Amino acid sequence: MKFTREIYWNVGADVLAPMYFIALLSTLALIYGFYARSKVYRRGKPLYRFDDIATRIAGALVKTLGQVKVIGGGAPGLAHGIFFWSFILLFCGTTLVFVQADITDPLFGYRFLKGGFYKLFSLTLDIAGLAAIIMMLGLFARRYIVRPKGLESAFDDLFIHALFFAILVTGFIVEGLRMAATEIGQNMELAYFSPVGLMTGLMFTGLEKETIESFHKLMWWIHFAFSTLFIASIPYTKLRHMFTTSFNYVLEDRRPKGSLETQDLEDESAETFGAAKAGELSWKDIFDTDACTRCKRCQDVCPAYSTGKPLSPMKLIERIGDTAFGDIEGSITTSVGKDAIWACTMCRACQDTCPASIEHVAKVLEMRRSMALMEGEFPGDEVVTAMDNIEVNANPFGLAPAARGDWADGLDNVGSLKELDKTDIVYFAGCYASYDQRNKKVATSLMKIFKAAGISVGILGAQEKCCGDPARRIGNEYLYQQMAGENIDAIKSYDPHTVVTSCPHCYNTLEKDYRDLGFDVKVEHYTVFLDRLVKDKKLEILAEEFDVTYHDSCFLGRYNGVYNQPRELIKAAGGRIVEMRRAMENSFCCGAGGGRILAEEKLGTRINIARATMAAETGAGSLVSNCPFCLTMFEDGVKTAELEEKLTPKDIAEIIADRL
Amino acid sequence: MEILVCVKQVPDMESKFNIDTSGTWYDETDLAYRMNEYDEFAVEQAVLVKEKLRGDTSVADTSVTVLSIGPERVKDVIKKALSMGCDRGVHIKDEQYQARDPMENASIIASFAKDKGFDLIFTGLQSQDRGSAQTGIIVARVLEMRCVTTVVGFELENDVITAKRELDGGLKAGFRTRTPAVITCQMGLNKPRYPTLPNIIKAKKKELTTIEADTMATAERMVETDALFHPEKKGAGLVLEGEINDQADKLISILREKTGVIK
Repeated sequence: MKFTREIYWNVGADVLAPMYFIALLSTLALIYGFYARSKVYRRGKPLYRFDDIATRIAGALVKTLGQVKVIGGGAPGLAHGIFFWSFILLFCGTTLVFVQADITDPLFGYRFLKGGFYKLFSLTLDIAGLAAIIMMLGLFARRYIVRPKGLESAFDDLFIHALFFAILVTGFIVEGLRMAATEIGQNMELAYFSPVGLMTGLMFTGLEKETIESFHKLMWWIHFAFSTLFIASIPYTKLRHMFTTSFNYVLEDRRPKGSLETQDLEDESAETFGAAKAGELSWKDIFDTDACTRCKRCQDVCPAYSTGKPLSPMKLIERIGDTAFGDIEGSITTSVGKDAIWACTMCRACQDTCPASIEHVAKVLEMRRSMALMEGEFPGDEVVTAMDNIEVNANPFGLAPAARGDWADGLDNVGSLKELDKTDIVYFAGCYASYDQRNKKVATSLMKIFKAAGISVGILGAQEKCCGDPARRIGNEYLYQQMAGENIDAIKSYDPHTVVTSCPHCYNTLEKDYRDLGFDVKVEHYTVFLDRLVKDKKLEILAEEFDVTYHDSCFLGRYNGVYNQPRELIKAAGGRIVEMRRAMENSFCCGAGGGRILAEEKLGTRINIARATMAAETGAGSLVSNCPFCLTMFEDGVKTAELEEKLTPKDIAEIIADRL
Repeated sequence: MEILVCVKQVPDMESKFNIDTSGTWYDETDLAYRMNEYDEFAVEQAVLVKEKLRGDTSVADTSVTVLSIGPERVKDVIKKALSMGCDRGVHIKDEQYQARDPMENASIIASFAKDKGFDLIFTGLQSQDRGSAQTGIIVARVLEMRCVTTVVGFELENDVITAKRELDGGLKAGFRTRTPAVITCQMGLNKPRYPTLPNIIKAKKKELTTIEADTMATAERMVETDALFHPEKKGAGLVLEGEINDQADKLISILREKTGVIK
């Protein structure tokens, strides 16, 4: 008994010429479609994303073939993954048929689709086809029957679902018809290796041979027509993500996470700063919009969206794309909406969860830069005042720069670098620890800990300025660079070994943003520094048990991957951590990032209340964080939500200082 | 149309003020400086007038000159005004600025302005540091220009000015006058713009002339600063703490002991 099948059974070799002609046409349609879209991509500003190309391609292959970023998103992601793998198997199967039928057999008379290998081939493709149908059914049910909140369906979605069903179902019908005529009842041992084809074939066994043959011919052509339609429609529908999303993995930002483009503000040839029009974004930003599949994962994790602000990261990308492909000179600040652009806290949850490696934050920043630098526009008068205060007083409060170091008066292990010789570390206090009453307590607690560990601390005092994070992230690059330049000069003049910060925003700014401006001193957040002291037995904490929930600040967690050290410190202090439903990589912003600390939250509900409520749900009595912005937001959120009796906001430094 | 804006650089009012050794001025170390708040309204208004007249072919090009008296550092506020949209800057370099009275300052401004044919001069209502609120008025008197002070509303139609002044108790009065005039600006007149980056870059290239104050004719000082002192510390505010009932009890006892409200 032979285990193989006749390729082009019933349709005959005569179909080859028209088949390949049509296939060629659809391939041309595919190429032309992408060519037309690439013209729009190229209207964007230049950006080089091809360095270390081998690593980039290898990474992209792993992410695409492994569906690494897709399957993590729960059942729909897994369904997509299984569908994808089935699809790849079916694609390989078709390729093998092509190789044998059109290359090895006619040229060398060599056929490999036979025997045991053919059995495996048949079975694999049948299972893959079935799996693909089941996954599509599941995804269809989710999209059109369950309809999860926020999932929007356009014509593309219906078209794609219908097309895939049509291809898969006609494929099995063609197989079933062939098997009804050639295998069922004749070569049952082989037929069992095509279980789905067998089931379909059994429906046709009662038909006349001629009927089966003519029906088979018809279905073969229909199946082929759908398949070519599929290829041709890729660049014109959301199907384009097969190429664009995969290729977007090649284009990923390989700089340290959260790096921002440092603009050359002295460039006299620059006519515009930031991006007001689609064409003022980089080509990769425009390409991103084509890589988006509108899976809404970004929207699901967005703190602004979930508190009723007019921002959805998904729609932001969609609108930039619509503008770019409609009119490259069109205003994206208008199509996205200024309120939406200002609402972003730059918590980066969207960007980190995006399975297509889309970079949302940089786009928000470029649009903000345009509004701030080109229009002098900010989210509110209070932000203009803060900008003015930072410019004049080097802090957003408008308090006396000369009083910046006053918080450390009377602390004997802390002194002004101006008056001291080398100290063990330089503490960059930041505006909040320097001026805000609540956060001064955190700074003094931290100094108490350093004292216990025998570490001498130098501060810049009046020489220290706002690190520039809120100014930069609200779009005021000019003011940021002014602050950064002065801080860098001041810090470098003392040539310190290590700078320690208590503010994750200062940390991220010094550690990443300042690097572009020639800053090369080692920077650490205090949680990392203290965790090492504890591990090295240089700091002893007297553990005392308490229940606590821990908030991962965005700029320590997502931006810098520091999740464990703060938890280790809390545990060393006796804390039993009850995690919130959104923790670690999935943490939920306090609402103060992206310069929002300077702005009033006028739209929707309050983000800090949403987070304080999540913390209260854990039943732990204290909400501990590592960031002055978070602490400020939680003090306010706990009061506004009337959770004072259930929840006390604290900083890790305070917990430890109480247990020395 | 020619417009002059007079701006002053003042210490930020949140600064730590210490009396200097002369006893007649504050110690300038560690102070943060900014443009006098009222002068920002003056700059904004001048630029608004210029922008409104732009494209009006019946008037010649409008040009806004910004002037400031003081040491080298006052160039910062001139640059800020230039980046807000003024066309050229004039720095009257003066090292005696600490002792000058409004008469002297006004005469310096007037001697600069007298042959320039300014149609409008905008100044702040007063400075945040000295607060005499006289300089603008004296400039108007010396140059024999009309003057409207404490302006919170300003419209210009050809040479007719329609202005609103702020009076006590929130009342406003409407005035009409003609150019040439001096306008002293009060909070509420407008919202000073935040300079855009292209304008900051452009401002760096704008003309900024320095004139030594010594070379200018100045009137004789009429007011001498005698002494500068911090206000006497009076009783601080009191925050009642504790349980709500205790707080009420404390309040009652304070009202009883220190006031005549409760007998």
